[in-house]
Amino acid sequence: MEREAIVSEFYEKLDSRGVTRRDFMKLCGAVAAAAGIAHITATDVAYALEQSVIGAKEGNLYPVIWMEGASCTGCTESFAQIETPDPATVVLELISLNYSETLGAGAGWSFEEAREQTIAAGNYIFIYEGAVLEKWEGQALRVANEPGIEHVTHTAAKANAVVALGSCAVNGGWMAAYPNPAGAIGVQQCLKKHGIETPVVNVPGCPANPEWLEAVLVDVLFLQQLPDLNAEGKPSLLFTQTIHDNCQRRGHFENGEFVYQFGTREEALGYCLYPLGCRGPQTKANCGITRWNNRRSWCVESGGPCIGCTTANPANSNENWVETNTPFLKRHRDLRVGDFRLSPTTIALSVTGLLAAALVIHGFGMKITGRMNGGADFEKVRKWDKRHPDRSIGCYDLSDEECAALEAEAGVAAPAKPVGRTTAAKTGTGTATKTGTTGTTGTRTRAKTAGQDGADAAKKADEESKGGKA
Amino acid sequence: MAHLAHYREAHPLPFVITHWINLVAMILLIISGFNIHFPFWAAFEGIARGIHMFFAFVLVLNCIVRVILSFFVKSAPTGGTRRTDTDIKSWLPQTDNRHQAGAWVKYYLFLKKDHPLSAKLGVPQKLSYLLIPPLILIMAYTGLCLWGPTMNAPPFAAGLNLVGGAMMMRIIHYFLMYVFICFMFIHVYLANVEGTAPTKLMFFRREHGGLVYDPDKHAIIGEDELDEKH
Ligand code: HEM
Ligand code: HEM
Ligand code: SF4
Ligand code: SF4
Repeated sequence: MEREAIVSEFYEKLDSRGVTRRDFMKLCGAVAAAAGIAHITATDVAYALEQSVIGAKEGNLYPVIWMEGASCTGCTESFAQIETPDPATVVLELISLNYSETLGAGAGWSFEEAREQTIAAGNYIFIYEGAVLEKWEGQALRVANEPGIEHVTHTAAKANAVVALGSCAVNGGWMAAYPNPAGAIGVQQCLKKHGIETPVVNVPGCPANPEWLEAVLVDVLFLQQLPDLNAEGKPSLLFTQTIHDNCQRRGHFENGEFVYQFGTREEALGYCLYPLGCRGPQTKANCGITRWNNRRSWCVESGGPCIGCTTANPANSNENWVETNTPFLKRHRDLRVGDFRLSPTTIALSVTGLLAAALVIHGFGMKITGRMNGGADFEKVRKWDKRHPDRSIGCYDLSDEECAALEAEAGVAAPAKPVGRTTAAKTGTGTATKTGTTGTTGTRTRAKTAGQDGADAAKKADEESKGGKA
Repeated sequence: MAHLAHYREAHPLPFVITHWINLVAMILLIISGFNIHFPFWAAFEGIARGIHMFFAFVLVLNCIVRVILSFFVKSAPTGGTRRTDTDIKSWLPQTDNRHQAGAWVKYYLFLKKDHPLSAKLGVPQKLSYLLIPPLILIMAYTGLCLWGPTMNAPPFAAGLNLVGGAMMMRIIHYFLMYVFICFMFIHVYLANVEGTAPTKLMFFRREHGGLVYDPDKHAIIGEDELDEKH
C-alpha cells in the first residue's frame, strides 16, 4: 500500500516534466542497455530508480561533485547536448549535482562552500573531467585559493568513488600529448602518487559518451556497486571489445570493400574505412552499440574513421590517444626520433634498402675477388692454430694413406687425387695432435706428440699460402 | 674448385621438409601481413587474415618440430662428409669453428683472402639461424597480442601494457617482419653467392662433389669428384 503511494508520487514528478509512464519504462530499458548489464531488465532499473528517488531511507539524492580539471569542457557539453526526456537527463536529475562549474547555477564563495559541505558530509561521487597538471608545483587551475592538484586529492579522498570522465581524466589525453608542457597526467595516477585509495572508474573518450557515464551512475546509485572493471580500471562491458568487433561496416571489411579516398564511389557505398587509418581494430569501446547523440549515429556510421579517442592507459600518460594515433589517416602512428617524426614504414624501408644496397655492393666485391664460383680457396691452416700450434684444433699433417682411410670410413669415395690437403701434410714432418671428437672415430686416437713439429709445419704452410697468393 | 662436397647427410630429409614449410609459410605470412597492414589488394584482405593466422600456427609448430627433431635426427656436423652426429650438436659451438668468428667476419669484409675452415654452419651463419626460433616465438607473441580472440588474455594484455598499447605492438610486429625480410636477404644472398650448390642440396637434395673434410681431424682430407661419377 505504502509503496503504491510512493510510486504515484514518483510518476507525478516525472509527469510534471512531461515524461509519461511509458516513456519512463522505455528509458529504463535504455539505461539497462547503456549500463550493459545483461541480467538487469528495465523493470529492475525502474524499481531501483523509484526506490532511490523517494523510497531511499535517507531520503536524499546521491550527492555528486563534478569538477573541471585541464579540460575543454567537451565531456560536459556532450552530456548537456542530450535531449529530454532521455536516460541521461533523468539520471542527472536524480542525482544531487552539488557542484559543477559548468552546469551548476551557483558561483563564487557560496558555491565553494557547497563543495566543502558536501565533502564534509561524505558519501558522494566525485566526477573529474580533464587532466591533472603536475607542473608549477601543481599550482595550475588554482581556484578558491587552493592549488589545482589539491582540489583533486582533497575532493577524492573522502569520495565513495571517483569517475575519471574523458580520456584527459583517464591519463592526460591530448593535454598530455608531446611535449606535454604542463605535465598532464590522469586522476588515477595522481591519486596513486598521493596515496589516496578511493576507487577510480575510468571512462575514456574524447569526449566521453554521456551514456557511458550514465551506465556507471546507474550501477553506483541504484545498484550500490561499482561496475565490473577491466585491467585498465574501465567498465569491462563498455571497454573490452574493440570498435571493429561491433562495427556496422565490418561486413565490407570482410568482403574486402574499402574506401581508399574520401569523395569516391566507395565512400558513397559505405565501405570499410580501414585504409583511411580507422583505429577500430585496436580501439576498445562499444561506440557501435551505444552510438552517439541520442543514438542517432556515431563516428564510423557518419563516415569518419575511428581515431581511437578512447585509447588511454591510466598507468601511462604517454600512451594517450593523440600520441598513439596521429596521424589519424595513416595506418600507423609516427615515431619520434629526436625532433623528427618518421613513419615506421619509412624507417623499415630505409634500413632494408640500405641492407639490400650493401649486399649488392658486397656482391660486386665477391665477383671482383673471384669468389662467386665456389668461394675463395680454403685456408690451409686456421690462423689461431698457426699461432697456437701446441693447442691446434685441426690436424693438417695427415699422410695420404691416413686420409684415404678416413675417407673410406666416412663413406666418401676415395679421392681421385689428393688435392686440397695442406702442403704441411705432404712434408710429412708433423704428427697428428688431436683425439677424435665424435664417437665413430674414437678408436683412431693417436698420441699427442711434439707441438713444435706442428708449429713448423703450420708456419711453412702459412708462408706457402702467402707466397701463392702474392 | 674450392668448396666442400655437398652431401645429403648435411640436410636429412626431415629438415629439408621443415625448411620447405618454413619458406612457404614465411612467404605467405609476409604477403598476407603486408596486405593486412594496408589492403593493396582489397579482395584478398579477408583471405589474407585467414591465411595469416593459419600459417602463423604452421610456422610456430614447424619451428617447434624442427627444434625437437634436432635432438633425434642425425646430420653431418660439417660439410664435405657423410659422417653424422646428432643434429643439435651442429647448432651448438663446435670445435671446427673455435676461434674462427673473427676469420669469418674478416673474410666477408674482404680482409682475409682465403676461406675460413668451419663446421657445417659457419659462426655468423650459426648465430643467425639460432636467432630464428626465438624470433618466430616473439613474432607469435606479438601477433597474438593483436588477435581478437587472444588480445584480452592476461599474458597478452600484460605485453600490450608493457609496450604502450596495441598500436606499438602492431609497429613492433611490423618491424619484426622486416627483421625476417633482412634475414632472408642475407640468408639467400650468402647461400647462393658462392654458387647454387647449397640451395640445390637444401631444396632438391642434389649432391655435389668437392673437397672432403674430416669432422674429427677438423681438416680437409681430400676431394670427392661426385659429378664425374654421376
Ligand atoms: C608467428 C605468428 C604470427 C601471428 C600469430 C601473427 C598474427 C598477426 C595478427 C593477429 C595481425 C593483426 C591482424 C589485424 O590487426 O587484424 C598481424 C599483422 C601483421 N603480421 Fe603477423 N603474425 C605472425 C607472424 C608474422 C610473420 C612471420 C610476419 C612476417 C614476416 C608477419 C607480418 C605481419 C604484418 C606485416 C602485419 C600487419 C601489421 C600492421 O598493421 O602494420 N606476421 N599478424
Ligand atoms: C629462397 C629462399 C631460401 C633459400 C635459397 C635458402 C637456402 C638455404 C640453404 C642453402 C641452407 C643450408 C645452409 C647450409 O647448411 O649451409 C638453409 C638453411 C636454413 N635456412 Fe634457408 N633458404 C631460404 C629461405 C629460408 C627462410 C625463409 C628461412 C626462415 C626464415 C630459412 C631459414 C633457414 C634455417 C633456420 C636454416 C638452417 C638449417 C635447417 O633449418 O635445417 N631459410 N637455407
Ligand atoms: S570501419 Fe573501422 S571499425 Fe569498421 S570494420 Fe572498418 S576497420 Fe573495422
Ligand atoms: S568511434 Fe572511435 S573516435 Fe569515435 S568515439 Fe568511438 S573510440 Fe572515439
